[in-house]
Amino acid sequence: MNSDGAGEGAEDAPNRVVAVPCEGADVLALFALATGDSLGEVPVGSHPVHATTTADRTFVATMGERSVTAVDPGGEVTRIDTGVLGPSHFASANGELYVACSAGDALAVIDPVELARTDRIGVGAEPHELAVAPNGDRLYSGSRRDGLVDVVDTATHERIGTVNVGPEARVQGVALTPDGHHGYAVDQDGDRIVVFEPASHGDEEPDAPATRVGHVRKAAAVGADPYDLVVTANRVFVPGRADGTVHEFSPDLTLEAVHDGFSRPVDLFKANGHWWVIDAEAARLRSLDGEVVDTNVPGLVAAPVGGGRLVVSHYDDDRISLVDVADGIVWTADTPAYPFGAVVV
Amino acid sequence: MADETPEADGDGSGDATRRGLLRAAAGATVAGAASTAGCLSVSTPANVAAEYEVTGNVAHFVGPSWLAEHRDDAVVLDARNAERFREERIYGARRVPFDAITSRRGTEDRAVPDADAIAAAFGSIGVAPDDDVLVYGASVGSRVTRTAFALAAVGHRGDIKALNGGLDGWNGRLGTGSRGDVSTATYDADPAPSTWATREWLAERVGSFNDGGPGLVDVRVPEAYLAAAGSDALNDDHERHGHLPGAIDVHWVGNVSGRRMVDPGRLVQLYEGEGGLDPSDTVVVYGDDNVDPTSTWLTLRAIGFDDVRVYDGGFGEWANAEDRGRHPVETATNVVVETKGSVGGDDSSGDFSCTG
Repeated sequence: MNSDGAGEGAEDAPNRVVAVPCEGADVLALFALATGDSLGEVPVGSHPVHATTTADRTFVATMGERSVTAVDPGGEVTRIDTGVLGPSHFASANGELYVACSAGDALAVIDPVELARTDRIGVGAEPHELAVAPNGDRLYSGSRRDGLVDVVDTATHERIGTVNVGPEARVQGVALTPDGHHGYAVDQDGDRIVVFEPASHGDEEPDAPATRVGHVRKAAAVGADPYDLVVTANRVFVPGRADGTVHEFSPDLTLEAVHDGFSRPVDLFKANGHWWVIDAEAARLRSLDGEVVDTNVPGLVAAPVGGGRLVVSHYDDDRISLVDVADGIVWTADTPAYPFGAVVV
Repeated sequence: MADETPEADGDGSGDATRRGLLRAAAGATVAGAASTAGCLSVSTPANVAAEYEVTGNVAHFVGPSWLAEHRDDAVVLDARNAERFREERIYGARRVPFDAITSRRGTEDRAVPDADAIAAAFGSIGVAPDDDVLVYGASVGSRVTRTAFALAAVGHRGDIKALNGGLDGWNGRLGTGSRGDVSTATYDADPAPSTWATREWLAERVGSFNDGGPGLVDVRVPEAYLAAAGSDALNDDHERHGHLPGAIDVHWVGNVSGRRMVDPGRLVQLYEGEGGLDPSDTVVVYGDDNVDPTSTWLTLRAIGFDDVRVYDGGFGEWANAEDRGRHPVETATNVVVETKGSVGGDDSSGDFSCTG
């Protein structure tokens, strides 16, 4: 994940809709962002987990299918085959939508306008998170089984290189700095993070070693059972889910701080100038500076909506909340079973 | 049928009726135990043969009584290796040139059975296209079923039968020694592409297997299907591990119980009930090689599946394809139908998966 607090400062339009894939109910649940009122449910297929919006449609990754689902503004549903089970994470590049087929070894490439699969790209087994270079010319796909990150040319759909994170590595999170000069991969099994050379830009960044694509520059230890990461222009954050820590690094992986005292930190978001940690086992958001916002029940995933607010999915409690980090809970709404990664449409 | 092979069974030592008494039940292996205990059950050749009879609406598999009845008008093929063939065989049986009947040739759509080479191999042992053929082994393992598949693949017009119980169930005349001279026959292949599937045929249907498209069965052990890390079941020659998208896993050994096919009712439950296959659909079976999947090929045909095909190129061809995006594998699915089969019979080939 690359996050500078996306959407912060944006105004809440009264007609914005929160779309929540509910993994246990196979639906996309819709809510009014302003009020939390339920607007309906759209059947989308088995085990929806993540969603993204592009080309005026909401695309839902249904991990229990060999397809993804597109929902247009009128609620019409279109299934687009991936051919491989487990679509999980999306990324957009060059006007195309990529989805990792996490039960196989492929990325499906989708034309979001024509609603058709245009290609499939072989990558390391069980791809998970995807990252795209700032100019869209490269896509990075982490493999949970093969210990590598594949580098894909988005113009040709060719795999042009790999980052060898380690033979026993289970790559979960993958991200790049906003300038595209540093790539990162989180090794869940090894409790470590590596920084790699995402492109041949040694001439542009003379301080960086002139290396080849995929070269691992450095590795660093992080907290236990890491999963995701957050990368900004000058910081890299890695939550350690099993030991309640958040490791904070500079871009070259020099350790800047270890924030502890969390229960099961899973993600971070920037709001109102602070970094807030989602904790899957604590009914609160807590900033790295120690501020606390009660959320009644723990959250697992959150989506920033601007104005210092987050939509928090309370996966185990079948509800979502709009949380203002300054004022607390704005509204809470019950959802179908297991709400996961919401998007705001 | 082709002429009976003259003197193919060596000297008169092989003319004896099968063993006078087979092993008794547990406990009787101690010398003299049977005479002293006096109350142990004893199997005779007749009731051993009877236990391998096949009843009901089952195609291809037949019991010893079928062979006894058709002994003079069916060609009998022995699918075991040469050593076992020399030791003891059904009198008049001809040994299958096994390597030749697994031959493949490359096509634009990738590997397919080499019908010409296979037909020539059958011709070399005197099998003609119209012959009714019975094939047997030590059991009803995959060497037997590969032979049956190879005949079907070259468009064999005669009946194709497999002997339930294998050699152990036969209580008729036996032969031993080297095979002697074998008359040949002319066998012009009439390839039957409906018996096999190619890599590209499968690639065109990725995403539909067992979900509106053809049924697809991986016959390997679950560890290979699941790409279990560190498992000895993973083939080092494969660049990737896992299975074709959507395939279910039913280990082929589940088709066999000792020396016989598993009860047909259980097989129907296994494939239709637990596996969810529809006998009216096309079903493709595959494994690491092109031998083991033929067990499932023949088994499914035996229980009423109309259109069953073997992916002759096997998982290795798929896993090593250059265009991985077109030929993806899955690892995280786990539709494994558990089986309890075992293949009986001693085969010195040392390869369990090819036990005859």
